[in-house]
Amino acid sequence: MRVSRAVPGPEDQHAQNRDAGGSATGCAEAVADPGRPAGRALAALAGLRAPVVWVLLAIAFFTAISGKPVDGVLMLIVAAGLAWDAGRRALRHPDAGSAAGVRGTDRPRARGRRRLLAVGALLAGGAVCAGVMGSFSRYSWPVTAGIVGLGTVVVLIGWHGPLRDRPDGGRLPVPGTLAWLVVLVAGCLWELAALLQQPSLTTDSYSHPTISTLTDPLLATSPGRSLVLLAWLALGWYLVER
Amino acid sequence: MSSHDVTIAGYLVAVAGIVLLQVLATRTRLPVPSLGDLLTRAMRSRTGRVGMLVAWAWIGLHFFGR
Repeated sequence: MRVSRAVPGPEDQHAQNRDAGGSATGCAEAVADPGRPAGRALAALAGLRAPVVWVLLAIAFFTAISGKPVDGVLMLIVAAGLAWDAGRRALRHPDAGSAAGVRGTDRPRARGRRRLLAVGALLAGGAVCAGVMGSFSRYSWPVTAGIVGLGTVVVLIGWHGPLRDRPDGGRLPVPGTLAWLVVLVAGCLWELAALLQQPSLTTDSYSHPTISTLTDPLLATSPGRSLVLLAWLALGWYLVER
Repeated sequence: MSSHDVTIAGYLVAVAGIVLLQVLATRTRLPVPSLGDLLTRAMRSRTGRVGMLVAWAWIGLHFFGR
């Protein structure tokens, strides 16, 4: 069984390069110096081949026009930074498309014990955190600070690569992957259609409710907020472990 | 059926599609990857990893943040 990022072979490196900067970028030679202005521009353009950058740009745009310009600008900065980083690495090191290596090469038993302790501590901490943050009203400064703090920590942890080895899994089957894309994109477009059919982008509509509108009743109560925050934290931990 | 019902039905169809694909991935031999496999693949590069985590942070900010 192959393990992701353990010792990538040529095939793995090509696959990872496709992730970072598209198929053409992955096989490119170092053609520009990312330190120079022209090189920086070229790096950013090369990074635009990463699909996730476009997803973040779309989120930034719709967040900004929905009445949260600061969130939109933050997402725009992250998207631009990621595009530049992906392009810079692809141009400078064609084989460096992957994230940093997996951390930790301890013995499995000691690692398992530590992991158990860490999971217990995280569960307890997550429950307390969700309970405390859920006791504050939505859009209040304490909750905002908590979300921003947690988000920053998780993104910084994720920046350095996965926390532990995971099976690579090889190539994904194309038909099944396409089926997933169709369902997920259709769901996003449905939400977008509901958003655009509101009286205005900042006014909710009963006839065309967005997911945010539908969750309002649940998030109006303290236990509901704590429950959703707990699920959000669990999702974050799940993603960090990928 | 009102517009409200149709809109909600659309969300339910999307959720049902996700559940169906996950069941097909985990309970059958059909060439369908699980959502976990999909996320792992998407997060194999640093760009994908950080992008997904930032999108997660944005969800929290969107629903709770100022």
